[in-house]
Amino acid sequence: MASKPARWDLEADWVSIGSGLGGVAAAIAAHDQGGRAVILEKSPRLGGLSGFGGGEVFVPNNHKMRELGIEDSDAAGRRYLEFLAAGFADPALFDKLLATCKEAVEYYGREAGVAWIAVEGLPDYYYPKVEGSHSGGRYLTVDLFDGASLGEWQQKTYPMTPHVPPGALHSEMYGWGGLAKVVSWDYELIGRRIAEDKRSFGPGLMGYFVKAAVIDRGIPAYVGTPVRELVTDANGGVIGVRAEQQGADFFVRAARGVVIAVGGYDHQKELACQYESMPDWNSAAPPYLHGDNLVMGGEVGAALAAVPPTNLAMFYGYRIPGEEADGAPLYRASWECGVPHAIWVNRKGERFCDESTYKDYQPRLRAWDGQTQSMPNLPPTLIFDQNYRDRYPLGSFMPGQPLPEELVEVADTPRELAIRLGIDPDGLERTLERFNRHAAKGEDPDFHRGSFAWSQRLVGDFDYPNPNLGPLDKPPYYGVRLVPVSVGINSHGLKTDIHARVVHVRGHAIPGLYAVGNSAAFRDLGGGYQSGTSNMRAITWGYIAGRHAMGKS
Amino acid sequence: MPSAEYTTTAKLPLDTIWEFVKEMDNWAELVTGYQSHVKESETDSLWVLKGDVGVMARTLKFRVHITEWNGPSRVAFELEGLNEPMDGSGCFEMAPHEAEDAGAAGPARRSGFFVRMLEAIARFFLRGFGGGRPPRAKSADAGPGRGVARLTLRLELRPGGPMAPMVNAMIKPVMLPAAEQLTDGIMARLEQLHGRA
Repeated sequence: MASKPARWDLEADWVSIGSGLGGVAAAIAAHDQGGRAVILEKSPRLGGLSGFGGGEVFVPNNHKMRELGIEDSDAAGRRYLEFLAAGFADPALFDKLLATCKEAVEYYGREAGVAWIAVEGLPDYYYPKVEGSHSGGRYLTVDLFDGASLGEWQQKTYPMTPHVPPGALHSEMYGWGGLAKVVSWDYELIGRRIAEDKRSFGPGLMGYFVKAAVIDRGIPAYVGTPVRELVTDANGGVIGVRAEQQGADFFVRAARGVVIAVGGYDHQKELACQYESMPDWNSAAPPYLHGDNLVMGGEVGAALAAVPPTNLAMFYGYRIPGEEADGAPLYRASWECGVPHAIWVNRKGERFCDESTYKDYQPRLRAWDGQTQSMPNLPPTLIFDQNYRDRYPLGSFMPGQPLPEELVEVADTPRELAIRLGIDPDGLERTLERFNRHAAKGEDPDFHRGSFAWSQRLVGDFDYPNPNLGPLDKPPYYGVRLVPVSVGINSHGLKTDIHARVVHVRGHAIPGLYAVGNSAAFRDLGGGYQSGTSNMRAITWGYIAGRHAMGKS
Repeated sequence: MPSAEYTTTAKLPLDTIWEFVKEMDNWAELVTGYQSHVKESETDSLWVLKGDVGVMARTLKFRVHITEWNGPSRVAFELEGLNEPMDGSGCFEMAPHEAEDAGAAGPARRSGFFVRMLEAIARFFLRGFGGGRPPRAKSADAGPGRGVARLTLRLELRPGGPMAPMVNAMIKPVMLPAAEQLTDGIMARLEQLHGRA
């Protein structure tokens, strides 16, 4: 940490370190309470992880559901989130989050022009299995955002991301048949929207927030300006930051508060492997998540907190050789495993999970065998057949297009494929015989694949009796070795209180320091992840932090 | 289908430009995203490029087949995508530039506002966030005159498969900046090699 400089380069009331959803929401909230806010971003673009993702915001009983006449209740939403938290949530944070999330999203809709849309027909992960779950409407997303309205910031934000269809709305994507029907999406429409820079999903969501902050409110934002240290006073309170611009110090005073909103540590592989107890780690997130929250917080005595990693979002996937995003290797989460005619197997050639539901496969992948002191399901391998290739893509490789040899093994028989992949050929043959026999009837007695409505909607093919199941019985057979692919949501983060203030290792709040989004530990929901909860936390705690610093609780 | 045409000039003999352009090893590294190339024959070569559309980049493998050698004024080629459903064609044209005419410099057609905006973004990323144009020959803006020649690159790409309309929209903005980078780069390199300005 740094001491007060002889001269501040910039004076403000509020500094958002990071320009993802939490940082920008906090800057807007502070500004709207009369504060002079500043946003500092180390990457060349505003938007952070939020601008690179799916852009869903999960808010039970939200105002857009009510407008559509979709019934829900706070109590039902609470029961569902309690189920997700599985007893690991901090009760005070949980209560505060639920009490504020609706107010926050309505505020940014009303005051910041965010054009919210409730996604109809996309169910909660556990609908209808769990009490309080809902059939659709709790996911908020945004209407198309006009990139040109960002002026000079148009080229300093993400117009699109490799992970979601550019320029398409949720309703359109599901209307076209979801991820299983990528082949038949309306690419004429998508092409027009790209050419006109009409943004959706995460880029659209962050378009609205960035515009509200830097265009409509004139909040100064600096890209290529990494914050290196917090500046503290003699009492340990945070009074500003030392950033860098083109290698030179750039001291910014923050008279009322600083928020750490820099995400987690996805791109610090060694740290991620240690904290997530994984032998390998890769990320689909932009390559700027280096654990700066833990470094800067740690230097001023911030306490670290954690939630069970098994309850968070983590995927397995692959890298198509040569693909990069923002100059770093691009990893894609594999959705192929939820589509008919594809399975995952371990080294024994055995299935071990419902491949269509990552809430099921993620903890099973992390399973530990104390008899053999090993993780028996790692690494998993994706297996599919020509039935699959005739219908579905692998990543962006459409049916009929040659698959990259460096990524995909191909063989005429399962046995030959297993040998090439280094997995037990007898095991794979046994697995396919059993799987195929049941899949032909639309059944999976072992792992109940196809029993989650959410998985059916997202990756299922409704041409099949069970949208997530189909036998692998048409040669040739294909195999892809998979690796962990995180989406930037980590188990460890800074410990925060009900005002989003960072808590010191000795238990008191550190004056002037806040943390939101993925920089703050997921204790409010106990790590109970479901799509949209990460963005919901970011908006809500950003709203709380910015207002609290300006004297509004 | 996306296409680009770009013309630049320099105070260089036509034969000098031709001698340089006809040998791909001379200018291969000036191609945007160049990774490698291998000559298979007098007319065919395999190229590996990194195709960058701003938020993501991807390795593209092409076979280039020369369809016309007509020195010192024109060489034409066809492209066949080996790992992507994308074909194309193009040509280099060289001519004296002794009097002002419509094709003297710059892109032949002006595109719409959004495409120009996206082209500006593409230039921004192609130059490693530095923005601006690639280095140009010092004599590029000298105007027509004795000993001045112009070099034109025409390029057309034809993505295939169901995603073609989307790929069209993504690659269109990067084509003109790529054509500028190669054409300006060739002239600047030649001027450097031959000590002219």
